Amino acid sequence: MANTDLALSARGVRMEYRDRSSDTRLVAIEAMDLDVADREFVSLLGPSGCGKSTFLKIVNGLLKATAGEIRLRRNGKGREDAMVFQDAALFPWYSVLDNVAYGLVCAGVKNDEARKRAAPLVELVGLQGFEAKYPYQLSGGMQQRANLARALAVDAPILLMDEPFASLDAQTREVMQAELLRIWNAAQKTVVFVTHQIEEAVYLSDRVIVMSARPGRILADIEIELPRPRALELKRSAQFTAYADQIWKLLASQHAPAAPVGQA
Amino acid sequence: MLPQRRWARPSVATLSVGSTPLAPAGPRGLTRLVRANERLFYGILGFVVIGILWELAGDLGLYRKSLLSTPSLVWSAAVQDFGSGTIWPDLSASGVEFGLGFVAALGIGIPLGLAIGMFRRVEYLVSFLLFGIYSTPKAAIAPLIILVAGIGLESKVILVFLLAFFSVIVSTVAGVRSVAERHLDIADSFGASRWLRFRSVILPSTFPFILTGIRIATGRALVGVIVAEELAANEGIGHYIELYGAFLNTARVMLGVVLLGVFGVLMGEGVRRIEKRYEVWRQEIH
Repeated sequence: MANTDLALSARGVRMEYRDRSSDTRLVAIEAMDLDVADREFVSLLGPSGCGKSTFLKIVNGLLKATAGEIRLRRNGKGREDAMVFQDAALFPWYSVLDNVAYGLVCAGVKNDEARKRAAPLVELVGLQGFEAKYPYQLSGGMQQRANLARALAVDAPILLMDEPFASLDAQTREVMQAELLRIWNAAQKTVVFVTHQIEEAVYLSDRVIVMSARPGRILADIEIELPRPRALELKRSAQFTAYADQIWKLLASQHAPAAPVGQA
Repeated sequence: MLPQRRWARPSVATLSVGSTPLAPAGPRGLTRLVRANERLFYGILGFVVIGILWELAGDLGLYRKSLLSTPSLVWSAAVQDFGSGTIWPDLSASGVEFGLGFVAALGIGIPLGLAIGMFRRVEYLVSFLLFGIYSTPKAAIAPLIILVAGIGLESKVILVFLLAFFSVIVSTVAGVRSVAERHLDIADSFGASRWLRFRSVILPSTFPFILTGIRIATGRALVGVIVAEELAANEGIGHYIELYGAFLNTARVMLGVVLLGVFGVLMGEGVRRIEKRYEVWRQEIH
């Protein structure tokens, strides 16, 4: 891959925590190299404690790595990346529209203007008519739609998604996965998607990065060569199942304390 | 399903008195009125029941009326003192003391509480100091305050302030501490300025705690007013109670006490109203 096409490039990212009770150092991420091409959909997959969310937070700037370097392609205007958080990530004291507009307000856009610019995103994620509602009035799936719209509103080329569908029920999750692909296609974003669900990773991604349990490192980097656009029926295909099996075996061989298949 | 009733459980909205010109008369109308204002109705009912028991106990000679008075005696004292207007100067004096001390407690307590909660060094700077003052019984230093500030308005305001101030601070700090990490992460993730972070996350999360602090402070501020006035004053409800106590005029002593109670209830209800307005979104969190 030519360097100019990279949206994100990580080299030797290492994360250590000091354990206060024993005064020892815990290594959350050992040494992580990752290149993500422009408009690529990459999933980080692994058991709890593999450092996949931590990596995402380092990319986002919420955490500072102990060592290593992360480069995001500059787009000249505004932020390079925007985060879609795990569940309950909306401000309960803001309406849906104000939540979606929040990233813009953070970027210095005046309230009225931010609301105006947020409105089409509310529509894109299918929440029209709910602008004035408060998060507690929405279902979990709808809350995550707003969460996604907020990240899309700042118009950053890279979307960082931290297990956004983990707390949704199975049906809603599938709907949201299909919706995400539709929106990804429409918005032309680079996505780094963190999940512990094999199916989800295979279904969504161009590449699945499989990570080991603590200390987190990359076990495999698997290209998912399934045709797009992907309908939900694809999950029943032999090709799909083969990818899922391959990843499952990889994780199972790790004696990971956490089960490889979906536990929240 | 309620096949028997044509007026199956009307919603609260249709029950507010002003908007029901078609409310049927008679017991049914009364029932509806009670349902619409259940809290108020039962609150007053509680008062009335205690009043009747008190009156009956007095009439039955269970205690000496000259010591504990009765509601009817308190009532006639109220009619007299409000009718002649002699109680107004006392009421307004206490009101001013309460108001000034209370506003000062909020004006200083809320910002200081926010600062303590947000900045570690501010907390270190004032925590010993605050706890020192906090653990000193205010009634014990009241004579000193009166000695220094005189028996006028100042000493009362200072005591009210000291008593109310801490409730406000303690709740505000607790509020800031309860701000959810995940909400701060959102602000930081999108690069919110410090001011926006404060305005959009810390303040709204803390606000319900501040209201709770205000409600607790109300009661403590009242204690401040009365303690200061009973110690040394020539006006105010505390002075009124003290004065008539000395003359064994227990009806008026009780009148003073009842007035304090009514004031406390009104203040508490006022804050509750504000809390309710901001409660809409709280269902999710608590």
